Amino acid sequence: MKIKEGFMLRNIAGNNVVVAVGKATLDFSGMITLNGSGAFLWSLLQNDTTIDEMALKMCGTYDDVNIETATNDITEFVTKLKGAGIVE
Amino acid sequence: MKQYKIAELNVLMNPKYNKLLKHCEAYLSDFEGKENIVATLTDKEIEDHNEKWPNLTLEECEYIWTGASFYEQLLDFQGMVLHASAVALDGNAYLFSAPCGGGKSTHTALWQKKFGKDQAIIINDDKPALRIIDNKFYVYGTPFSGKTDKNTNIKVPLKAICFVEHAPTNSIRKMSAVEALMQIFNQTIRPVESKKMESLISIVDKMLKDIPVYKLGCTISLEAVETSYNAMSK
Repeated sequence: MKIKEGFMLRNIAGNNVVVAVGKATLDFSGMITLNGSGAFLWSLLQNDTTIDEMALKMCGTYDDVNIETATNDITEFVTKLKGAGIVE
Repeated sequence: MKQYKIAELNVLMNPKYNKLLKHCEAYLSDFEGKENIVATLTDKEIEDHNEKWPNLTLEECEYIWTGASFYEQLLDFQGMVLHASAVALDGNAYLFSAPCGGGKSTHTALWQKKFGKDQAIIINDDKPALRIIDNKFYVYGTPFSGKTDKNTNIKVPLKAICFVEHAPTNSIRKMSAVEALMQIFNQTIRPVESKKMESLISIVDKMLKDIPVYKLGCTISLEAVETSYNAMSK
């Protein structure tokens, strides 16, 4: 799975913000803000990946996260993005 | 095509109907050199908008979508529109924004009542243009001012932005960057093209760093003007 074309993550005055452009604006007219780990996961989702792969990378980057917690958090995150039609 | 100067840009328009023609009169100006913006609609485009929005007349359609075209192109010139009533006082521009019916024009009309119409000038009652010139934000009057026709062809430095909502008592506070960001994006025209979206993002980024953004809960009263003026003019 990966992020659909037409979504961009940008930093606006210290906030990680996702907006849609092009055809994606037909389905998504909102705006999403992400915290640091959300932005990290977003960067992984730019390329085709899996929850297991992301969980491993997350544990490699953040010291205080175990694989089980990471998997649960990422699953929740990805479910939300799928629900909003951002990830396919 | 007629030549206009709007927000210090050379603009070509070709008004067919009276509403657009009249609104633009104060902005007529022969310019030298090339145009920056061409904002025209074909008859077919006007009719298509009218078909989609049958409660609007053809001349309203021309006026609204010519404005939309202007504001979309404004993004190429370090500029954007904010859905707000903009008032100038003592050489500073104050922007009051809200969704339709949110009380922004009512509030700036109260500013005029309190300070006098010759002191508090409505720059644009609905859709002022904002531009970054020499690293500073300026507010411009434009012919596109919504239902009320109130606009003045002037340029005033932007002092503060305020999001307005009705409340039983008057209070004002500074908004966090993330709150302000959401509100600003909800009250501007979001471009579809990615290059223009990048422009909008860079303008809003600078805006949140340079300009204070407030949230005002207010009644319809002169006391509400004191609340907003005292905080925003500091």
